[in-house]
Amino acid sequence: MQKHQEDGRVLAGGQSLIPLLALRLARPALLIDLARIAELARLGEWEGGISIGAMVRQRVAERSPLVRQRAPLLAAALKFIAHPAIRSRGTVGGSLAHADPAAELPAVVVTLEAELVVASSERGERTIPAADFFSGHYTTALLADEILTEIRIPGPGPSTGFSFHEVSRRSGDFAMVGVAAAVAVEEGSISGARLCLTGVADRPVLATAPELGLLGVAPDRGVFEAAGEAIAARLRPPTDLHGSAEYRRQLALVLVARALRSASQRARGDNEDRREGAPA
Amino acid sequence: MAERSPVGGGGAARFVGASVQRGEDLRLLRGQGRYVDDVRLPGMLHAAFVRSPLAHARVVGVVTEAARRARGVVAVFDGEEIARLARPRASIPGGTDDGGPPVYTLLATDKVRLVGDPVALVVAESRYLAEDACELVEVRYEALPAVVSAEQALDPKSPPIFEDLGGNVIYGPTTKAYGDLAGTFARADLVVQAKISQHRQQNVPMEGRGIVASFDPETGELLVHAATQGVNTTRAALAAQLGLAAEKVRVLAGDIGGSFGLKFGISREEVACAAASRALGRPVRWIEDRGENLTVSGQAREESFEVEAAVTREGEILGMRVQMVVDAGAYPGLAPMVVDSVREMIPGPYRLQALEFSATVAVTNKASYVAYRGPWAAETFVRERMVDLVATELGLDPLEVRLRNVARRGEPPLRMVTGPPLAGITARESLERMAELIDLPEFRRRQAAARREGRYLGVGFATYLEPAPGPRSPDSPPDPGELEHQRMRLEADGTLSVFTAQMPHGQGHETTLAQIAADQFGVDWEQVRVVVGDSSLSPAGFGTGGSRFATMAGGATLHAARELRSKVLEVAAQLLDTGPERLAIVGGLVVGEGAPAGGLQLAELAAAAERGLLPVGTDSRLEAEVTFDGGESGWSGGTHCALVEVDCDTGRVRVERYLVVEDCGEMINPAIVEGQVRGGVAQGLGAVLLERSAYDPDGQYLSGSFMDYLLPTATDVPHIEIEHLETVRLDPDVNFRGVGEGGMIVAPPTLCNAIADALAPLGARITEQHLPPSRLLELIGTIGG
Repeated sequence: MQKHQEDGRVLAGGQSLIPLLALRLARPALLIDLARIAELARLGEWEGGISIGAMVRQRVAERSPLVRQRAPLLAAALKFIAHPAIRSRGTVGGSLAHADPAAELPAVVVTLEAELVVASSERGERTIPAADFFSGHYTTALLADEILTEIRIPGPGPSTGFSFHEVSRRSGDFAMVGVAAAVAVEEGSISGARLCLTGVADRPVLATAPELGLLGVAPDRGVFEAAGEAIAARLRPPTDLHGSAEYRRQLALVLVARALRSASQRARGDNEDRREGAPA
Repeated sequence: MAERSPVGGGGAARFVGASVQRGEDLRLLRGQGRYVDDVRLPGMLHAAFVRSPLAHARVVGVVTEAARRARGVVAVFDGEEIARLARPRASIPGGTDDGGPPVYTLLATDKVRLVGDPVALVVAESRYLAEDACELVEVRYEALPAVVSAEQALDPKSPPIFEDLGGNVIYGPTTKAYGDLAGTFARADLVVQAKISQHRQQNVPMEGRGIVASFDPETGELLVHAATQGVNTTRAALAAQLGLAAEKVRVLAGDIGGSFGLKFGISREEVACAAASRALGRPVRWIEDRGENLTVSGQAREESFEVEAAVTREGEILGMRVQMVVDAGAYPGLAPMVVDSVREMIPGPYRLQALEFSATVAVTNKASYVAYRGPWAAETFVRERMVDLVATELGLDPLEVRLRNVARRGEPPLRMVTGPPLAGITARESLERMAELIDLPEFRRRQAAARREGRYLGVGFATYLEPAPGPRSPDSPPDPGELEHQRMRLEADGTLSVFTAQMPHGQGHETTLAQIAADQFGVDWEQVRVVVGDSSLSPAGFGTGGSRFATMAGGATLHAARELRSKVLEVAAQLLDTGPERLAIVGGLVVGEGAPAGGLQLAELAAAAERGLLPVGTDSRLEAEVTFDGGESGWSGGTHCALVEVDCDTGRVRVERYLVVEDCGEMINPAIVEGQVRGGVAQGLGAVLLERSAYDPDGQYLSGSFMDYLLPTATDVPHIEIEHLETVRLDPDVNFRGVGEGGMIVAPPTLCNAIADALAPLGARITEQHLPPSRLLELIGTIGG
């Protein structure tokens, strides 16, 4: 990395880069494959949360009991990434470093206030809060000589429920809009909430309980719908073949309300299933 | 199979009607199929095309020097150079092959007419090097305004795509009228009007187009490995376009990875590769990549219709006036033939009394119009959507309107108002059976209850007839080109070889023809070898398409096997010194009076015939050759039904149940029939919910990858419940009918009708076929549009 800088591209599973190469859209002089660096494929506990090596395959994370227990939002979101064959090759770190604006994992790490550990041979390691990592379409805070090495996700707070909702054209496609939500409910009212949308801007869009008017209120349909409307009103989502900006705003409105509702239900121990149904 | 006991030859069904496992599957599923991409010839070169980035432009200059000097490049041909080697000739009906306008060249010379139009051909030692060199070819363009819709094309001021055409209309307007149209409109209580349209969509076979062309300068012979639906058609087209005698061209085809109508004849790129092989004296290979397949291989279905229906208050549809406009894309193709079929078939199984039908075909700067599974499907879409619009207008249930209009078998009218006989139709039975299967009154109650909770359920029906090939019509005898020829031979090892011009590309012909031949002849189906894919062995015939296989090739096989059986029994009688009427072929043995106790092995008999042990004067060639005209044939058809729920917050459609009641005559192999139905339905659902070939206002193609051209995947296709109807036999022998296209023809209106039914309380009037989530929210007014 040090030596090749901009000429080299890191191969971390290849589920995005290889198609770009095949279409001649990316033409790096050199590929640096991280697949054989065992340290990058570790998955373990980290201070009550988890540490995920950047090269942990998405399918491994998805099936890990530790991930399900300590980061249920991540486990839920992973199922929406493409199909099992792709998740078996694709890596958690690869998806984050690729920073597709419609990808699921960036929204998850921002919602969960994860720390992303990056390293260069020259300067060693540094840690970047997830909220500061994504800087635009396919661009991140990574410097040319750095790679993402580890993702540290804090453990779930007390009385907190999580949910991930998305609408895509087909199961496995990139989200037209996706919403990751975490809601804490104590003694019948909301004590905290964070949510993050994907597919609506050049990077994940975060909103927190105070902005959403949710702090201290009782979790009911009306407040969630109002939160959805408030967020949708401030979005300027892209238009493409699959949906106009206006359609995406409508989806954001609906999915924010649905995601908050199911996260709050889970916070209260109620495991009602998402209406969209589980993906393949 | 275990429970069925062999009951001997002579027509007693033993394999026909059984879902025997396809003989093809072992090799295909193990990855041992042999496709054109698997062909490797010594000295083989690889082709890649330089393609236009613009939809409409003059070609001012093509500079190939740098590319010619690039590593691994053997030759570069620009459009002018290819034009000297081969001529364009549409190999499908409706194309230009008479020297009349529009005149154009095989690769672009003066102009490019769509994004992806081939401008130059690079031949190199590998595909990689050929593509590298393509980037070195400099083409100077002078951009012209693009014509990207039929509406623009019909404007006389639109820039002409072919200067010699005098405008952008390539066919029509033509008008044909049947019955007393004025009378039906005068008698009508109401005229229901709608503008109904289909959107552009396309064949997306797993395997794209491809060719390995190998010209031998010593013999002057061209050997071609092709991905094709018919080796004879490809051979004839190639010979004509290259100026070779047909005898000098041999076309081979191995396994074909799907086609859906795309691979008829030969494409411009493939001819250019054959021309390059002749010029270079070396094999040239071109395998279409997915980007090329989606952008330029061909597209279909973009048709719009102004419809007026004259109806009575009771829901009787008396007459229809229809104006059709086709957006046929850039180069001449199939559209005029499709217009004829749509016009003829639009009455369907209904007692329509009068029809006026006019049609215009326009050229645009988009991919050229090709055949796509049920090319004339618009007749069913327009008619079945119209029936529902009539029902809505009259406050009647759409099923009731269908039952009121559908013809009764054996009662007048005995023909569609456009001519085809309505013999043997079971449309009414299929509708009645469908209503029972879904318990319509119960569904309506459930629907009403759901609406009170803000949930939107819908039910949709559609009925169709599939001319597969359709009943014999006394006033239109079969075209000689549509006859089915077949040869069958008993080989020295006792196996049966069936030579057919059919070219299976996923349909399982190797199994189904073997089932028929085995029953008729008296052997196990595994003892029958179906020989396809070699123009030097194939009988005459255009190949596989138009849902003709079951009747035509199935019938030819039945008759050939009977003829050969008689011949074999004659020979056996000579050898055994008995009468042929005393013998039979059972389980691969000749048995009966005068036969040895354990029976006479067919191999022994064949060997005896070969060694000349027969009396002088006996015809010892154990071969039969037959030509079959289709017999009395008949319709395939039926009714489909979808039950859906629309999420009116997100626009997503969930198909709760999808049911099929269909009739394709006697089924040769029910599993294969159901596979065809399911595949067609999947494509039809894809058309409505996912698939669209989209262009921007400059004619740039927007759906050039699988991220944008969305095919239904296994998780998007619901379980499909299929029921088969008892059939009506019109022909004493051959009651097999095609089933390849019906699913794709009728699924789009079925699903659209169900969605329209769900959204009816929200005031949506659906007259288009593509209904992705964003469009549904526009139609119900949740978002603007």
